[in-house]
Amino acid sequence: MILQVRQLTKEFDGKAVLRGVDLDLAEGQVKVIMGPSGCGKSTLLRCINRLIEPTAGKVLFRGEDVLRAEADVRALRQQIGFVFQQFALYRHLSALDNVTLGLRKLRGMHAREANEKAMHELQRMNMAEHAHKYPAHLSGGQKQRVAIARALAMDPAVLFFDEPTSALDPLMSREVISVINQLYMDNITMLCVTHDMFLAKYIADQVLFLDAGVVRAEGSAEELFSGHSDPRIREFFIHEHHS
Amino acid sequence: MIGSLSFLNDVIDYWPQILAGLGNTMLLAGIITLTGLIGGVLVFYLSLSPHRQLRRATEAYISFFIGTPLIVLLFLMYYGLPQWGIHLTPLMVAVIGFTMNVAAYNSRYLKSAYNGIIQCELEAAHAQGFSNLQVFRLITLPQALRMAVPGLTNQAILNLKDTSVAFLIQYTEFFAQMQELAARNFQYFKVYLLAGLVYLALVSLVLLAARQLQRRLPQVY
Repeated sequence: MILQVRQLTKEFDGKAVLRGVDLDLAEGQVKVIMGPSGCGKSTLLRCINRLIEPTAGKVLFRGEDVLRAEADVRALRQQIGFVFQQFALYRHLSALDNVTLGLRKLRGMHAREANEKAMHELQRMNMAEHAHKYPAHLSGGQKQRVAIARALAMDPAVLFFDEPTSALDPLMSREVISVINQLYMDNITMLCVTHDMFLAKYIADQVLFLDAGVVRAEGSAEELFSGHSDPRIREFFIHEHHS
Repeated sequence: MIGSLSFLNDVIDYWPQILAGLGNTMLLAGIITLTGLIGGVLVFYLSLSPHRQLRRATEAYISFFIGTPLIVLLFLMYYGLPQWGIHLTPLMVAVIGFTMNVAAYNSRYLKSAYNGIIQCELEAAHAQGFSNLQVFRLITLPQALRMAVPGLTNQAILNLKDTSVAFLIQYTEFFAQMQELAARNFQYFKVYLLAGLVYLALVSLVLLAARQLQRRLPQVY
């Protein structure tokens, strides 16, 4: 098991956003987290890699408790590739430099080696021809593909996606979904927060429905999307389907 | 015509001193632009500290040096410190005083530019595993510096012009020499007009350099 989350709780100013979340992620597994806005999906991802400090609970990454005070947070983060909704590319760097920065400064690779590795990942994302462009000159879909290449270049144990298609129009969204689907085919372990049922259907081994900070249901996309016994879940997916 | 020739003769006679003054002006302006930039980056870095006390201390530093006339600081160090047995040369006083003042202004320019950086880029850098210092060095600073070029250029121009204040603490820079020349030939209007034109030429050079720099930077926003 790569990731085990137990009773994870997060409070902001006394208001509980996560209320005892349990989650398991096995090697090669793809789990999709869905749920209404504000239910704690993005907070959950950020608590796991400690971009946000959880209030209580346990996170075991490859069996190691990463919430203990002496845990190496930076080493943990280097094993988790994170792809953001707003792409979060470094605007002052070209696409290529966005990908090589971590390789050079965190992995200590020489420029040539880092460039080769980065070009390989950009190629994989069909972005090699745009390698020397700055983010400002790329479309949303292209930016997200560079962001995925940046995450993959670090050879992470798991990839986190935080609503990777929400900031994209339907066409660009399909472009990114097809790339993520390719990663699914390549057996990459992923934890993906999304509202996109199309994306979830494509890649989810399991869907976890989070509601008001608790896991309300867990099952295959099929089970959750088509007439779930819980009216709250049924209503949510009917609404999402039509939006 | 004769008056102009005689003025020209005075300038030529006094040329070595004018040149030395000009050299001192450029030396001081060059040093304080560099040290003020380094100091500004340091103050800017501290102003982003996660420790509230440090942020407050930095804010107090900035407010103090922006709120206090530079001349007071220079007089305090040049005429005040000897009473405590500390004797500094005019150049040392000017460099220290200007640096502290310019660093406060530069940190403000950088902080304003920082507000234009998209926060999710910083979050992404932390998520990649960069340390706080690496995030600052690799993401925050390059972007803030780039966005602050107009403000920093203005400050470099102010540095150049404000060096004339240093003559009040016996630093014989360009304006001090021009004043000496005016006291000798009583051609106040011509001498100060010439001084103004020389400053204008120097400022134009700084502006040209800044424009070149901006042109060479890739358009990334």
